[in-house]
Amino acid sequence: MAGNTILEAKNIYKSFSGVPVLQDVHFEVKAGEVHSLMGENGAGKSTLIKIITGVYAKDDGQIYWEGKPVEINTYQDCQKLGVACIYQELSVIPPLTVAQNVFLGREPRKGPFIDYAKMNKMTQELIDKYQFPLKPTTVVDNLGIGQRQLIEILKGLSQDSKLLIMDEPTASLSGKEAEMLFKIIQTLRSEGVSIIYISHRLEEVYMLSDRLTILRDGKNAAVLEKQDIIPAKVIETMIGKVVDESAGSKKMLHSNDEAEVRLDVKGLTDKTDRYRDISFQVHRGEILGLGGLIGAGRTEVVRAIYGVDKAASGEVYLDGKKLDPSPKASILEGIGFVPEDRRNQGFIPLLSTTKNVALTNYDIVKVQKTAISDADELSMSKRAIEAIDIRPADPNKQVGVMSGGNQQKVVLGKWLMRDLKLLIVDEPTAGIDVGAKDEIYSILEDLAKQGVAIIVVTSDLQELLRVSHRILVMRKGDIVKEFKNVEVTQSMVLSAGQGVEEEAK
Amino acid sequence: MKRMNQTTMRRLISIGMLLILVALFAGLAGTGEGKFFNETNLIEIVRNASIPAIIGVGITFVIITAGIDLSTGSMLALVGMVMANIYVYTLWPIPIMIIVGLLVGLVCGLVNGFIVAKLNVPEFIGTLAMMLVYRGLTYIIAVKNDIGAIESVRMNHSQYAFLGEDFMFVGLYYVIIAMIIVVILGQIVLKYTRFGTNLYSVGASKKAATLSGIDVMKTRIIAYAVTGVTVAIGAIFMTAKLQSTTANLGTDFEFDPIAAAVVGGVALSGGSGDVIGTLIGALFMATLDNGVKMLDMNASYQYIVKGAIIIAVVIFDSLYKRRIDRRAKEEGAKEGLE
Amino acid sequence: MKNINWSTYSKPIILVAFIVILSVLKPAEFLSVGNAVSVLTSVAAIGIMVSGTIFVFLIGGIDLSIATLLSLSAVVAATVTTRMGGSTGAVLVGLLAALVVGAVAGLVHGYITTTFAIPAFLVTFATQSVFLGLAQVLSNNNKIACTWPAFAVLGKNVVPIIFMVIFALASWYVLRKTVFGRYVYAVGGNPTAAEISGINVKLVSIICYAISGFTTAMGGIILASQSQQADSALGSGFTNDVITAAVIGGISLLGGEGTLPGAIFGAVLMGLLNNGLSLMNVDSTQSGLVKGLVIVVAVAFDAMHHADQSRKKAKKVKKGPAAPELS
Repeated sequence: MAGNTILEAKNIYKSFSGVPVLQDVHFEVKAGEVHSLMGENGAGKSTLIKIITGVYAKDDGQIYWEGKPVEINTYQDCQKLGVACIYQELSVIPPLTVAQNVFLGREPRKGPFIDYAKMNKMTQELIDKYQFPLKPTTVVDNLGIGQRQLIEILKGLSQDSKLLIMDEPTASLSGKEAEMLFKIIQTLRSEGVSIIYISHRLEEVYMLSDRLTILRDGKNAAVLEKQDIIPAKVIETMIGKVVDESAGSKKMLHSNDEAEVRLDVKGLTDKTDRYRDISFQVHRGEILGLGGLIGAGRTEVVRAIYGVDKAASGEVYLDGKKLDPSPKASILEGIGFVPEDRRNQGFIPLLSTTKNVALTNYDIVKVQKTAISDADELSMSKRAIEAIDIRPADPNKQVGVMSGGNQQKVVLGKWLMRDLKLLIVDEPTAGIDVGAKDEIYSILEDLAKQGVAIIVVTSDLQELLRVSHRILVMRKGDIVKEFKNVEVTQSMVLSAGQGVEEEAK
Repeated sequence: MKRMNQTTMRRLISIGMLLILVALFAGLAGTGEGKFFNETNLIEIVRNASIPAIIGVGITFVIITAGIDLSTGSMLALVGMVMANIYVYTLWPIPIMIIVGLLVGLVCGLVNGFIVAKLNVPEFIGTLAMMLVYRGLTYIIAVKNDIGAIESVRMNHSQYAFLGEDFMFVGLYYVIIAMIIVVILGQIVLKYTRFGTNLYSVGASKKAATLSGIDVMKTRIIAYAVTGVTVAIGAIFMTAKLQSTTANLGTDFEFDPIAAAVVGGVALSGGSGDVIGTLIGALFMATLDNGVKMLDMNASYQYIVKGAIIIAVVIFDSLYKRRIDRRAKEEGAKEGLE
Repeated sequence: MKNINWSTYSKPIILVAFIVILSVLKPAEFLSVGNAVSVLTSVAAIGIMVSGTIFVFLIGGIDLSIATLLSLSAVVAATVTTRMGGSTGAVLVGLLAALVVGAVAGLVHGYITTTFAIPAFLVTFATQSVFLGLAQVLSNNNKIACTWPAFAVLGKNVVPIIFMVIFALASWYVLRKTVFGRYVYAVGGNPTAAEISGINVKLVSIICYAISGFTTAMGGIILASQSQQADSALGSGFTNDVITAAVIGGISLLGGEGTLPGAIFGAVLMGLLNNGLSLMNVDSTQSGLVKGLVIVVAVAFDAMHHADQSRKKAKKVKKGPAAPELS
């Protein structure tokens, strides 16, 4: 069925500010195959795709198209070759019609004018061919997210491409729509179109793929043929066989139920259904890990607990007291929150360490009448710098120009200046070097020893196992699994997040 | 129930506003000879709406890309003054003078586009600053009398002044014809060319437009350039009508085209509205001016009412958009459940 | 590179250079006591206003209605005082009324921009028209004489300068010393992070607009007192002057950056600029050219600086293992 190699990327290297992201990666797609690409977050999938589509420039290596070396510097270059990329709903323009979106930038014209009749007809033909529930003349504004995703797919299909790249195409599709997509993929394959399929969802990859390339830590981990794509094996390959077991592929969880309950979440449900009926407890001194895939609803749940977003229903109790969902009230009750997107949500880049650390703490900084005591503010900042070794140790340094690890320490540092009862950290070490990671873990452990309850949301499995006393796994807005006082491995967590029951068990 | 298209809905609202206003003034200021509602006066209203509508076409392009241009009033004066210089100090034929005027508008527009799209200066700050620059330039090049004072320049050459008049039959003013041509051209470009589609795409989402292979910077710069040209057209008809120009021509004039666009349903957040809407808005504003005058009301009330209407309309649009977004989100959630 | 902070020294250097140039070009006119006083008094109104509008600039907002709000406030003060007979008590009531009008106007700006998420430039662009109309209606398009002794004293000699110093000190104190001041910088620097840090971003923004309206009204009062009359055109050109002063003073119109001493420096430089240009017989209408170019260059520079930072940020996101997009 599958024919000659259509696209080949050889010896691809790429690093961002000195940190290698792809190292000597090979990737090859044959004509008429569905080739999946998997890997944990940070394994380098997105970077590889962006190099293929000309969004990023590679540092080294060569891309071949139908056997000939090619240079792809812009997305247009890659379109010319016959490669189309279907983004996650990103490039749909709401005020335009379905047809205008599908043919955006490639509108059929009569003289200088767009030939709407022809364009709508062409769109209708495509719609008929793939049986999408769309009309060419509907304005996208009036459509839901799933339908917008379908337009995005239609746009990719309309280009008569030889290679289609689908990046998490089912992320916002309903079950029915996804089924439709799978059928289309099979039709395309039989027409000789190649597809690169990127997904976190193992069951889809398992069902669709002819071959599967797995990346791990920016390197090729494996290329599996269809018969070798077995969920347990895939998960194992993604995580990697860690020789040194203490490095975190496996862990015996211990949690102490005797300790009193600090946080009690009851039936938390979202307005837009990103999570529903979430209930759990966290005890004094316990570090609770929240695992699952990106988009499983973990971030939304912790944001609702802290009060940044309001839940539609449900209650949150801290030490038995019902919480008022607002950041200000949460802070006063003793909750700290380290958001996932550090730069956009975590700190004020133009302000100094001192002012960032003090930002949530003006209720405890000395204020004479209305004047803040500069000395007290400064001493707080110095304490924070001292306590968690923020570098440079200059309290007046703008946080925006510091390294990621130190920025995160500033974000964390402000909470250490308060009497905390609960600390919520979301992806605490994203984009941080190894040394700083370890420091952050030990800060969390110290806090737990002092009786603070901690919730850690992380997509890094090693991290999840390393810090958690107990683990909850979320999938599509529900808590699907609890690991408590058992030996847990990365693949067990990943399988739960994927919705795959591990066969070994 | 089939939901009414958002754009159609908004169009009906602006037409409704215009009709209500006309009816209101017809009631208050009367109908018949010398009153509000008669042919002569209604034509006068259209005539007065023409220049804001012409410039409004350019402004509409800019606002659809989620931009703004606050410099049109000053640009108008600069174009007028450059032409006045040619008129007074050279023997160039009138058509050349007009072409130079158009070129000045084009260059001003390109400069605005460059500052905004290339230098990434926020639109309202960049064009506010250029408002000062163009006005300053106008004063510097202003035609001065023997003792060095700036004076109003007569531009009453018959080959020029006729543009301010009507022809064939009474009331068919050249400016109205020009307005109709510019509006139709603008609407065609907006709805039937790739460039028009690109304007909407850029305004709705610069990121998505880039991913679709649209040159966002070029599209934005051209939108400002178009505005410059429409301002020049406006300047030509305005000076022809006045048969003169001054350095403070068009002071506060930047307000009117923007007001017209906003009333006509061109959302300042970008990506929606069209030229016909702006035309309706311009007619609305001109009717307001005229009616207030007819009622012998203090002209100052116009400023109050105009400002208040803009605020009311943008608040309405903001609330309306919020509702649409919420609905899309909720539906997305419902679909996810299936 | 790190140790030489250009921004610390640039301002005094520019100021001195400016004074030197003017002294050399126009020694007789520029270096007179009378001129010094006239520079200072013309600085005063801008200085007072920028002490308040800085709050709006710091949160990343703008006010295009300064000129007409200023006129409206002055007209309100004059009208109320006249109606009440012009006694000292009447003057006080008039001033109070003007300040209330200014603050309320600011509150309205803040409320509309934050509640309906409408850009500040648009709201203030529309209200400038409303204020102009109101000022014209209230003054009946006449100049109202403001010669009551208690009123006139506000604009005499160094009194405006004293007011400027008081306003500047108060503003400096709030921005530099109080918790509210810290919040203002946080909101301007990163509203999302500020919200997560428990700051009521909406409330802080509304208060900033109210402060701006209040000082604009005070600026109007001082100007009316200096010229001994108030009308709807009193504030013409002041929107630009205040914004230019702020920009010269290193306040980023993109928010989060700038200090009060910087703003006052900007006001002083604006005064010198206006003074120098008029001494060199450059018409005030032509000076807009210079101001406009100053704004464009300064903001383009800011935008470049910000783009630089976000490029760095983009890199960081790319290398981060949990990059949310496309992962």
